[in-house]
Amino acid sequence: MPLKESEAIILRSYPLGEGDRLVSFLSRSTGRLRGVARGARRPKSRFGSTLEPLSHIRIWFYERETRDLVRINQCELIRSFLATQRDYAAGLGLAVISEVTEAVLPEHEPSDAAFRLLLVTAGAIERSGQIALPLAYFNLWTVRLGGWLPPLDHCASCGIEFGVEGVFASPMRPGLLCNNCRHPGMRVISPRGLTLARRILTEKLERLAEEDWPSAPVNELNAYSLDLIEHQIERKLTTRRLLEKNLESNT
Amino acid sequence: MPDFAAPIARLIDELKHLPGIGQKTAQRLAYHLLRASPEGALALAEAIRNAKEKIRECSVCNNITDTDPCLYCTNPARNRKTICVVEEPNNILAVEKTRHYSGLYHVLGGALAPLQGVGPEQLKIKSLIERLKNGAVEEIIIATNPTAEGEATAVYLSKLLKPLGVRVTRIGVGIPVGSDLEFADEVTMLKAMEGRRDI
Repeated sequence: MPLKESEAIILRSYPLGEGDRLVSFLSRSTGRLRGVARGARRPKSRFGSTLEPLSHIRIWFYERETRDLVRINQCELIRSFLATQRDYAAGLGLAVISEVTEAVLPEHEPSDAAFRLLLVTAGAIERSGQIALPLAYFNLWTVRLGGWLPPLDHCASCGIEFGVEGVFASPMRPGLLCNNCRHPGMRVISPRGLTLARRILTEKLERLAEEDWPSAPVNELNAYSLDLIEHQIERKLTTRRLLEKNLESNT
Repeated sequence: MPDFAAPIARLIDELKHLPGIGQKTAQRLAYHLLRASPEGALALAEAIRNAKEKIRECSVCNNITDTDPCLYCTNPARNRKTICVVEEPNNILAVEKTRHYSGLYHVLGGALAPLQGVGPEQLKIKSLIERLKNGAVEEIIIATNPTAEGEATAVYLSKLLKPLGVRVTRIGVGIPVGSDLEFADEVTMLKAMEGRRDI
């Protein structure tokens, strides 16, 4: 049972037993894992603040072939987002990316892209204190990395290239549809939203954040991406209701 | 569970619902109860039933109590100018153990935890604001846990309460007594430095 070492991001943790924690984390080299941190809830715990959500850490753990849970031996803090989470809205944004990552990534499958995406998004939320655009970036890229993003340039039904009109989407139907092919009840994505989606896939978040984006197209993209994610994981995201309420109150 | 008689299987199943109790521990507890005298087992059952029937939430502070309002809220010797805000009723015991706090309490019923679907509406914040309306309270001590959720709750409450003209303080966060600075991580050490005071 060799001791493994990896860079990791804490996704969430739950109280376990008297003073332990069950921790879900994304290891850069091993993928998403769950493990037990013994004594982590006790005041003199050697883990300190390293197991708080979204903490970027170096982790040492034991993995046993017959057990689902690894045993967390030691953690060292690389970067903490604890101060960011003091703000409710920013904390909510970080909770969304944490929940989505945990929901879409299978265990034991390394994904360096997902790891970097998580760090970039958390960093952007920390810098700006804003959550809508970083979340739109994160959610759309999560959909793209999952392989669930349809082509953004033509109608999935008639093949016509999208022009200046809005497009229509539903997680129940593959692809985006034009105005002529749309079905009742589909979610509309405005031309601005479509432009933002294309730019998210080709430009850095830092650059996009320099521009002043109206909330409508950003919220459209968030809603569409979260629809696709929920459709794929076959359940509602716990954080979505709180997120939508927060975004609504800011518009 | 085909290996157990139906009543034992049911007992094990019920015990498994308790926090920290798995299948093996539940079996051990079930066999312990079966080996115990009938009076002992029935006394436990009666104690659980009695507690469930008589214990309720205090209508003032949300602490769990058998009298409403609770003993802290009705005790005339307690300082009514200070309210200590905690996440859960069992946090009150930790504060009481110090024997240095004689004010009142307010139990929020949790902390802001979006991953568990807990937002401001799910916490008992409105009743806290109601308690401040008569102007008797001068200080609110926020004693939520020093976790991400607890910190977010503390900051959220402070933003809400300060405009009401009340002093809002936060319990000290940092190095635990008896530990060694050498093993403190950056965030804990930073919190300790931020919270330093004159001696």
